[in-house]
Amino acid sequence: MRSRGNRAAFSLILFVLPAFLLYLLFLVIPMFQGSYYSFTDWNGLNKTYDFVGFGNFVEALRDDRNFRSSIWFTAKFVVCAVVLQNVVALLLALLIESRKKAKGLFRTIFFMPNMLSVIISTFMWVFVFSKVIPALAENGALKFLNLSWLGDPSVSFWTILIVSVWGGVGTLLLIYMAAIQGIPQHLKEAAIIDGAQPHHMFRYITLPLIAHALTICIFLTLNSSFKVYDLVYALTNGGPGRGTQVITMNILEEAYQGNNRYGYASSKAIILFLIILVITMIQVTIMKKREVEA
Amino acid sequence: MNSLSRRMYSGISWIVLALMAIYFLFPIYMAIINSFKTQSEIYRSVLSWPASISFENYGNAFKQANMLKSGLNTIVVTATGIFGIVICSSLAGYKLSRTRSRLSNWLFMLFVASMLIPFQTIMVTLTKMARDLGLQGSPFGLGVVCAGLGVNMAIFLYHGFVKGIPRELDESAQIDGCGEWKAFFLIIFPLLGPITFTIIVLNLLWLWNDFLLPVLLLNDYRQYTLVLTINMFFGKYSRDWPLILSSLVLSSLPIVVIFAFFQRWIIQGITDGAVKG
Repeated sequence: MRSRGNRAAFSLILFVLPAFLLYLLFLVIPMFQGSYYSFTDWNGLNKTYDFVGFGNFVEALRDDRNFRSSIWFTAKFVVCAVVLQNVVALLLALLIESRKKAKGLFRTIFFMPNMLSVIISTFMWVFVFSKVIPALAENGALKFLNLSWLGDPSVSFWTILIVSVWGGVGTLLLIYMAAIQGIPQHLKEAAIIDGAQPHHMFRYITLPLIAHALTICIFLTLNSSFKVYDLVYALTNGGPGRGTQVITMNILEEAYQGNNRYGYASSKAIILFLIILVITMIQVTIMKKREVEA
Repeated sequence: MNSLSRRMYSGISWIVLALMAIYFLFPIYMAIINSFKTQSEIYRSVLSWPASISFENYGNAFKQANMLKSGLNTIVVTATGIFGIVICSSLAGYKLSRTRSRLSNWLFMLFVASMLIPFQTIMVTLTKMARDLGLQGSPFGLGVVCAGLGVNMAIFLYHGFVKGIPRELDESAQIDGCGEWKAFFLIIFPLLGPITFTIIVLNLLWLWNDFLLPVLLLNDYRQYTLVLTINMFFGKYSRDWPLILSSLVLSSLPIVVIFAFFQRWIIQGITDGAVKG
């Protein structure tokens, strides 16, 4: 019996080993190393470095104005992006599902941006904002479009949101559509017989029964918008100045561009991890409680 | 609801959908029509249909952006990554799902918990690790690193899928004299087809379009993937819109063609992946 248990354990280890090695090398060790360096003043090159305890964390949160403003900018972006992406995706899913024809066509159109690289599609938007919209604004009726879309941080914030909704809705739409299709038909019919209006239907039938999809989609958007990089890089590269710098950009700037403060950058990376972890944990715990079974 | 308000409701929904469709198609449409124009034509009339359709811009973009080489690099990265992820995770996911022991549960939890680590948290030390292992500076090395980052999610998906495959199959294969490994590759792996397809789709989109990790790991334009080449191109010729736009359209074509062929399965795969993931 004992030897059979050993054999099973041995064969388990053999099957898991290739994946585990990759996982160890490229995920676990970098994570531990990063946590370790976050307590040092290592510059990424020297052989020697000193321990600075929580010094990096204190500096990042108390003294680093650029980091604090990048957190603030990212936080504003996260709130708006999560709300807008989910509202638009849910609205589109409801509208598409209420139609009989052209469901597939609309789904393809709204999903298309997800196939393209964020960098490539955002460059298309750069063209739109720097050439096409100024041309539209020459037309008298559309004069209000004459804004500095990429050059003024307070406008660029909305530019970033416009592009992020464009690129982020596709996956959410698929999840919401699948959830809406999963609502039992008899519940809808019963509600209609009871005289429910469309907004009643939405509030008392649809919304409670797609709660699990809401949990997933809000989790996904929280995650992706805290980690946003490619889009902002391609659209404004954090500029003008640091006006639209997001957290990930600030970390990269610290680690590579000129500063070479590896240890300090690592501690900022850990702060980002903790922010995402705490917020998504709270979100999932609260939203899981509200889910109901059909 | 009476028929008048129903018609109004349907009309409004149609208008909203149409407006949104314009918003979604607009940048792609603009990029495509302007990619056929000359620079002066773009400056003169950006909104109009091109005066003549010529593929000259495309030829230039293809040559100057070194599309062939960077396309091949992208294929190497994507193929290495997907191959590594599918083989390693199917083995691990299958065995972890079949074995009921504390070690097995513990290993599985370890893989799943790591899905919460954002790439941005480990990118700095990961780059150092890749350099130490000699994986920096080659598309193949990048593919290997990507496999390491992708196994956890794939193991999670395989683990769930294997539960639906009857255990009797493993046992009967072993009674027939198959070794454990042979049984896996001949009998189990083919049955994992649907979830393997989902995993391939999810990782294809990620690897083909990834930006930040390739930026950190590839340091020479000869190793660049398509996205990096386009990024470099954009910086270099930032006012030469005909060249830029045709390179943007050209580099998006492969993935759009794949999407057009496999649309239904891709959408199914992404929905499954997201809902279970």
